[in-house]
Amino acid sequence: MSILKSLLKMRKKKEYPVQVEEAAVAGPDLKNLNLEQLKEKIIAEFGSTIDLSIDELKTEGKDALLVYLTTMIDTKSLKETILQSISGQKEGFHLSTEDDLKSLCKEKFGGAGYQLVETFDEIIISLLYGNIIILFKDMEKALSLSMAIGEDRSITEPSTQTVIRGPKDGFVESITTNVSLLRRRIKNRNLRFERFIIGSETNTTVYIGYMDGIANEKIVEEVRKRLGKIKVNAIFESGNIEELIADKAATPFPLALNSERPDAVASNLLEGKIAILIDGTPFVLVVPAVLVDFFSIAEDYYQNFMMGSFLRIIRYVSFMIALITPSLYVGILTFHHELLPTPLLLGIIAQREGVPFPAVIEVILMEVTFEILREAGVRMPRAVGQTVSIVGALVIGQAAAEAGIISNIMVIIVAITAIANFVSPTYSFAAAARLLRFLLIIVSSILGLYGVLIVLVFIVAHLSSLRSFGIPYLSPVAPFIIEQQKDVFFRFPIWSMRKRPAYLKTQNPEKFPKTGSPSPPPMKGDQPN
Amino acid sequence: MKNFGVIAAILLAAILLSGCWDQRELGEITVVTGIAVDKGENDSYILTVEAINATELNNRTASGFAPSIIYSAEGNSIAELIYRVNEGISRHLIYSHMRTLIIGEELAKEGIIDFIDFLERNREIRDDFNILIARDSKGSDVLKVTYQFQKSTSLKLHTQLDTMMKDWGGDPGVRMNDVITAWTARGRQPVMAAVRIKGDPEAGANTENMMKVTPDALVVLDSLAIFNGDKLVGFLTLEDSRNYLWIQDKINKTSITVKCSESRYMGIRVYDTKTKIKGKLENGKADIHIKIRAEAYIEGAYCKDQFVKVKTYEENGKIAEKQVNEKVAETIKKVQQEYGTDIFGFGEVVLRQDYQNFNKVEKNWDEKFAEADIHVDTSLNIRRTGIRTKSFLKEVK
Repeated sequence: MSILKSLLKMRKKKEYPVQVEEAAVAGPDLKNLNLEQLKEKIIAEFGSTIDLSIDELKTEGKDALLVYLTTMIDTKSLKETILQSISGQKEGFHLSTEDDLKSLCKEKFGGAGYQLVETFDEIIISLLYGNIIILFKDMEKALSLSMAIGEDRSITEPSTQTVIRGPKDGFVESITTNVSLLRRRIKNRNLRFERFIIGSETNTTVYIGYMDGIANEKIVEEVRKRLGKIKVNAIFESGNIEELIADKAATPFPLALNSERPDAVASNLLEGKIAILIDGTPFVLVVPAVLVDFFSIAEDYYQNFMMGSFLRIIRYVSFMIALITPSLYVGILTFHHELLPTPLLLGIIAQREGVPFPAVIEVILMEVTFEILREAGVRMPRAVGQTVSIVGALVIGQAAAEAGIISNIMVIIVAITAIANFVSPTYSFAAAARLLRFLLIIVSSILGLYGVLIVLVFIVAHLSSLRSFGIPYLSPVAPFIIEQQKDVFFRFPIWSMRKRPAYLKTQNPEKFPKTGSPSPPPMKGDQPN
Repeated sequence: MKNFGVIAAILLAAILLSGCWDQRELGEITVVTGIAVDKGENDSYILTVEAINATELNNRTASGFAPSIIYSAEGNSIAELIYRVNEGISRHLIYSHMRTLIIGEELAKEGIIDFIDFLERNREIRDDFNILIARDSKGSDVLKVTYQFQKSTSLKLHTQLDTMMKDWGGDPGVRMNDVITAWTARGRQPVMAAVRIKGDPEAGANTENMMKVTPDALVVLDSLAIFNGDKLVGFLTLEDSRNYLWIQDKINKTSITVKCSESRYMGIRVYDTKTKIKGKLENGKADIHIKIRAEAYIEGAYCKDQFVKVKTYEENGKIAEKQVNEKVAETIKKVQQEYGTDIFGFGEVVLRQDYQNFNKVEKNWDEKFAEADIHVDTSLNIRRTGIRTKSFLKEVK
């Protein structure tokens, strides 16, 4: 038993390199300061901020200080519960030793999530997290009680990653709500969460979640290590973390999956992946991520497997369309006229008659125009959003073609590229296609389809050089794992997908025992007896 | 980082210095869909190109001008002439969409192999365009004739020949690579389709020609041009052309008229057919067996028989078989006697099936072909009778 305990202690030390306790080691202890000094010191720390409240009170026959940030705590419950329970004195009780304090807390706040803190810095951080602090005279420890304000956005349908069939709830900004959403999906004691505080100035809470007994312990350890290494001052969004823990910075491809959907994250956890939840954002990271993850969405598994497979193939095709259509247009029109059927070529020539620009300028002009419109559509106030789409449709389509600046076929190319780009279920992955498209267009205008091929070869080489937490980005295609092909380009029936991804080297590679396909009971006539 | 700079410089140099050399913007090019080669007056050849005015071929942008421009230049090599024609045409001509090559009869009689080499060597020109002989006229005149639908003759001919071959079989389906294969193969001589201008060639070269219900001039598929080596030696009728295809096992579908009794005919549609040829040399004489198997249905019959019994089908099938036998044998006989050039590729068959003996006679195979014994054996089955079994003709009062 004791060995186990010491082991646990050791692990804890290793696991929480930036925990509150350790971060605060440098601060002075409480025992050296009296109440007056403490009060002055706290005021000195926070300066003239208006929301600091320090009240003097007497409880259990002892002078005490009640400190909190008025904007961070729920003042109503403070009055209703805390003040009632600490005012007044119990008969024959004198708060003098640490044990007295402990028993008092046990009696009055047992179950309310109290904490005893002993350094000054701990007090400051507790205050910032929305705790109230009660400092007793001549005591070495202070009482810290969580009283954080409960105002949050309610759970709504995710604004990205919408589905037709599937749960409609999405993550919110509050990390505790997000954890509860996951817990509600996976009612399993092996679901573990660990806490990190990241950002030297923002002190943002970050949780990692994983299934103990499934997730590869080495990868979990790697996640802890990388989170521990982060030294930046501020974390506001999962994108900050994603960039800081990526295996490789110079790549347009995302190396971590992000999702607003609890069901998607839950199913990834059960595959043996690790979730990283960040307080203050509804986007949860899932690592390690491989390329095929960005093409499969939770809804694939909620509908008929044939339909799921079909839609998945459509997504791969769309990605290729979004990536290469404009460069194919440029390449074929300036270098390889022989590739088009004669009537089509003649049709395009007829349409382009009088267009003043070379094909490549035409394409770049239209693609940049479209990107500007798209950015405008996202950034502008909702009220004027409609104006942009009307003006945009006119500018990008009709007017430009009618004015003879671009050809009609160009409008089709831009439109199909844009629509295909929107198919991508993950925004960050679609962004890769958006960027690489321009590289392809330029190379294609110089070298034709030969250039397109060269760039595509480079992209594949680059993709195969990528790793996400040590897992090759192209697995399970390269390195090839035959068992996993059931869930790459096609989505096989659920009863046939019994294995977790082998490339993750999970502790428990099998999801469920072999059952075979569902079938009706044998008919009476078929029975031998 | 120093290395990175060097690599980047090499890559940029490789891309930027080598790129763009064959770049042609669409606004700078004109598509050539057909060329014609005729015998020159002073030099060897006259090359005529048909360069398409794409705006006129598009229904939305057409405004009634000529659909193409036809320009000729004279010189001693086609390779030079295809660029020389820019003396009269403003844009770069691209030949990758060339669909038809028309050779004037006069030139074809003198030999064409010299300039074909250029067409086969050029990186831009495909090797599967139609290659045609302009009978009784110059190739350039054929190119000039306008047409209602595709507007340009070369595009029209390409479609027309294809349709003809699929529906009836008058076009031998010969593309340039077939001609070259025939030239290089042992025991085969090439053929080509021959076209003729029906009407007035002068009036044909006018956009008004496209506006008439009965055009003043029309390019029609006329016959089959047969060659000895690279020289044109004569023409066979369209009927022979179909029989040629039948022997080549290239018939897709065809219709034949069968005489079932005195002045009574029935039309049958052959929809599935297969030909096998066996050949060998016996005592220095070629012995060729052609076996044709065909499936057909009745398309129109004013014979007295009602197709209600199996026997009737068989009897009529026999009549058709006999006729096919006769006609095919007739065609072969005509070629044997009049031209003595093995356009059917029987030499190839013998080469494969009787290699040792063929080697001995290869030098004078065409003579052997002229006196070969040819046996045609057709088996034709009538399977269906359209959507009527009994004809209403019997019930007409």
